[in-house]
Amino acid sequence: MTSQDSKASPDDASTETIKQLRDSFFYGSRSNLNFKFVSNLTDGEFGEFLAELFEALESAVNDGDPATVVETINFWQVEAHAGKHVGESTFQYQYDDIPIAQLSKPLSECRVVLLTSSGHFVEGADPEPFGVVDMTQHQAEARIMEFLKETPTLSSIPMDTPADQVRLRHPGYPTKAALSDHRVNLPLEHLQALVGDGTIASVLPNAYSFVGAASQLKLKKNIAPVWADRLRDEGADLALLVPV
Amino acid sequence: MSVGHVQRAIETAGIPTVGIYVQSFAHVPRLMGVARTLITQHPMGRPLGAPGDGERQAAVVRAALELATATTPTSEVFPHAYRTVNH
Repeated sequence: MTSQDSKASPDDASTETIKQLRDSFFYGSRSNLNFKFVSNLTDGEFGEFLAELFEALESAVNDGDPATVVETINFWQVEAHAGKHVGESTFQYQYDDIPIAQLSKPLSECRVVLLTSSGHFVEGADPEPFGVVDMTQHQAEARIMEFLKETPTLSSIPMDTPADQVRLRHPGYPTKAALSDHRVNLPLEHLQALVGDGTIASVLPNAYSFVGAASQLKLKKNIAPVWADRLRDEGADLALLVPV
Repeated sequence: MSVGHVQRAIETAGIPTVGIYVQSFAHVPRLMGVARTLITQHPMGRPLGAPGDGERQAAVVRAALELATATTPTSEVFPHAYRTVNH
């Protein structure tokens, strides 16, 4: 059974509740990872969001500027993920300590590594989750629950990889922006530019990416320490991390 | 939260880190005890900026690296709102 089977379908519209409507955007029949957050809202908040969105759309139609639409979506995305809906007392991975290392040299002398949970990989080096060849984004989203039990794997991305050889698949976030421009969460070129102007000394030959929608327990206990040792052994002085 | 685990492990291994988080997940590094974070007011999936907005993306990367020299836990908000780009 896929995650979509348990959600309301548009065919059930005559009996569909507002909650079913909201939930259908969260890996359901209307799955849209930009708007999956509406499943976290109350019915009343969902109504407020729609009203504000329609008003913003009307402004965009009139003046041709989508800024208000973006602001409205972002406001409600934040409200749903980081606002009063966040159950901080039940957040599983809270720590009182903050491990912090210090730069051993000036930034201009540092070798930097880039690591992101974006799900990027290089053409010809597909991690092939669950052994599936050429899994599509849609297929990945349909198997989100399986991804969340999986041990994450790290894809190496040479820093000089041509843009047309950068690939992406991730079941947990809206990927269209990153598909059209990987630099929105994989800033290979921007880091190289900082080497060029002397802000940093160099970058590791490879950046790294993994699918963050994975078993958090396996990642925390078994995988993250191994990755950290690897970056240290490769000579990183500083790590730039980009979660999505 | 996956990067939070990795960020803590890398710091524990002795390598300083900076993480760039979108505002929707700003609570995650705070709760997880992450050393240095730059929070951007960008939609989910686009922490550095809009596709095609290389200027903003580069500015975010530069702002993040400037936090690397912080010797105590630090979290800052990148002060500019998301902007769309005409392709």
